[in-house]
Amino acid sequence: MSRPVEIVVVYQSLLGIYGDRGNAMVLRSRLLQRGIDADLIEIEPGDRLPASGAVYLLGGGEDAAQVSAVKYLREDGHLFEAMDDGAVLFAVCAGYQIAGQTFTVGERDQVIEGLGLLDVTTRRGTERAVGEILTRWQRPDGTESLITGFENHGGFTTLGPGASPLAFVEIGVGNANDGTEGAVQGRVIGTYPHGPVLARNPELADHLLEVALGRSLEPLPNDEITELRRQRVAAIRRQGSRR
Amino acid sequence: MADARHTLGKPAALSRKAELTLRLATAVGDVAAWVSRITGRGSGASIRGQVLTRLAPTAFADLLQGRRILAVSGTNGKTTTTHLLAAALRESLGAEAARLVTNADGANLRYGIASALAKNRSADIAVLETDERVVSDMIALGRPEVLVFLNFSRDQLDRHHEIKALGRAWRVALDQAGDAGPTIIANASDPLVVWSSSTASRVVWVEVATLWSADAALCPGCGTVLTRLRSEGRDRWDCPGCELTQPSASYQVEGSSIRLPDGQVVVPDLQVPGSFNISNAACALAAAVEFGVDPVTALAGMHTVVSPAGRFATVQFGATTARLLLAKNPAGWAEALPLAASDPVVLAIDSVAADGKDVSWLWDVDYEQLAGRRVIATGPRAQDLAVRLGYAGVEHRIVPDLAAALAGHPHPVDVIATYTPFQRLLKMGGLR
Ligand SMILES: [Zn+2]
Repeated sequence: MSRPVEIVVVYQSLLGIYGDRGNAMVLRSRLLQRGIDADLIEIEPGDRLPASGAVYLLGGGEDAAQVSAVKYLREDGHLFEAMDDGAVLFAVCAGYQIAGQTFTVGERDQVIEGLGLLDVTTRRGTERAVGEILTRWQRPDGTESLITGFENHGGFTTLGPGASPLAFVEIGVGNANDGTEGAVQGRVIGTYPHGPVLARNPELADHLLEVALGRSLEPLPNDEITELRRQRVAAIRRQGSRR
Repeated sequence: MADARHTLGKPAALSRKAELTLRLATAVGDVAAWVSRITGRGSGASIRGQVLTRLAPTAFADLLQGRRILAVSGTNGKTTTTHLLAAALRESLGAEAARLVTNADGANLRYGIASALAKNRSADIAVLETDERVVSDMIALGRPEVLVFLNFSRDQLDRHHEIKALGRAWRVALDQAGDAGPTIIANASDPLVVWSSSTASRVVWVEVATLWSADAALCPGCGTVLTRLRSEGRDRWDCPGCELTQPSASYQVEGSSIRLPDGQVVVPDLQVPGSFNISNAACALAAAVEFGVDPVTALAGMHTVVSPAGRFATVQFGATTARLLLAKNPAGWAEALPLAASDPVVLAIDSVAADGKDVSWLWDVDYEQLAGRRVIATGPRAQDLAVRLGYAGVEHRIVPDLAAALAGHPHPVDVIATYTPFQRLLKMGGLR
C-alpha cells in the first residue's frame, strides 16, 4: 500500500475567499473514485506546511491577506522545498498573483514581492474584471478543452519569458485583456477563474493530478458535470454575444 | 416610551416648497408602486422610492428629519433583527404603536427606506433596516440615536469585493459624527464589526453565538493573523500585532439565554428558530433598552415576531406544506442548514444580481451534513448545486422548475433558497 497522495490547502483563512477549498475536495474525490488514497491537508498560518505534498493550492483573498500569505510562506519555506521535489502548485486568483514576481496592493499600488514561482508580474488594471469567463486550453496531447469559470480581479497580469499562457480567452478579461489567461511554468499553474474552477473543469483537475502523479489516469465520465459544462458554456456565449 | 426623558415631536417641518415637492413625488411614487403591484412585478416599495427620489432628489434626507431613528445593519439577520426591535418598541408604545414606522419588507437601500418613510410621514419613531452601503449616509443624514451592527461576512463578492472597504467607510462616518453620532450596539465577537465601530463615541457590546468565523482571520487594523484565547470558559479573539482585542460585552448570549448588563439572565421566548436568532434578539434587546424600553416589555414584543418578511414562514403550495428559509451567503447557509430537518429537503439556487452572480460560495457551504437525506435541487443554478452535492456524496435529484420541485410532497418540507427564488416562493405562496 503506497502512502496517500497529499493535497495541501494553503491558508484557507487567508486565501479561501471564493470557495477555493472546493478545488481540493474535487482533486481528492477524483483520486478516491479511482481507488487512489488521498488526504486533504489544511494548513493555517502558525502551523508548518508539509514538504511532502503532491499538490499545493493557493486561492483567492483580499490585499492584506495576500501580503500576509507571502510573508508566512517565505518564513515556512516548505512550499519551495516541495516545488523543488516535483510537487504541483495550482494558484488561483490572488494566489496566482502572489505566486508571481511582484503584485500591487492598496489604493497607492504598493509593489509587493511575490513568491517568484511564476515569471509573471501583476499591477492594478484599468478596471476590475468581474464576470463569467470562457477560455480555450491546449492540453499536453494537443487537443483543446474549454475552461469555464468566474473571474473577479482588479490586477492585470503580464507574463515574462519564463512563463507561457495557460489558455486563450474566448469571452472575458483573463490576464490583462490581451487574449491570454493564466500562466504555466514547469509544475506551477496560475489562473484567474477562481474558487471551484476544477469542479466545472474536470479535465484540468485530472491534468494536475496526472502531472503530480507522473502517470495518466482513466477518465471518470459524469453526466451531471457534462451537463453543467454545456449549460455554462452556452450561458457565457449567450452573454458574450450581447456585449 | 416608558421613559419620559425624550421629548417627542412631530417630524420637522420642511420649507413649503420642499414639502410640496415631496408630497407630489410621493403621490406619483404611490401610483408607480400600485402599477408595479397589479402587474405582478413586486411589492412596489423600491419603485415608489425610485420615482420619489427622482422627483424629489433630497427625499431620503428630508424624510429622515425630525424622527428618532434606530438603524440596523450587518450582513446577516438585518430583517429579523429589525422586526424584533420594531416589535419591542411597539409593545412599549402600546396604543400609540402607529407612531412607529419601519421598512418591514426588507427594502433597505435608499429607495426602500425613502418609500417606507414616505408612506408614514407622521410617525416620529423609525426602525430602519439599512444596507451596509447606506450606513454612512444614514449616520450623516439621519443622525440615528441607535445603530445596530450585527456582523460582517462575505456576501455577493461580485458586487462587494472588499468588505473591509465598507468597514472603513463606517469608521469615517462615525468619526465625523463625533459626539452627535449614534450609540452603537455592536457584536463584540466579530473583529471587523469591532474595528468598524471603534471610532464611535459610544458602543454597547454584545457577545453573540456564531457558527461562522471564516471571514475573520486577519486583524482588520494591522493585518496580523488573529489568535483565539480561552478565558473563563469562553473563546475570545485577540490581535497579537496591535491593540485590537475582543471587548468585554455588556450583553452575552449563553446558549438560548441572554445575560443582561446587571447580571440578570433572560430566556427570550422567540417564535423565530435557531441560535443566530437568539443573537439577533440580544442585539435588538440591547437597542431597545438603550432607547428606554425595559427588557421585560421588549421581550414580550419580540415574542410576537413569527416570520419577518416571510423568513421561516410555513406556506401551502397545493397539497405541499413548506417552511421557507432564506440563505444569502455561506454564513447564512451555516445557520439555515441545521434548521432544515425534512427529508427530502429542497434547495433553490439562483445567480441573478440579488443572489450574487458567482456561485463559487456553494463550495464554502457544508452540504456534507445532508448525507443520508435526499435533496431536491431546484432553481436556475440547480446544476451547479447538483455537482456540488455529487462531490459531497449527498443523494439528490434535479428539478429545475421551482413549482415542480415543491409539488406532491406528502410530508412538510423545508426549503432553503437564495434571495431571488425566496421572493418567488413568497409570491407563489401568496405572502407577497
Ligand atoms: Zn491588529
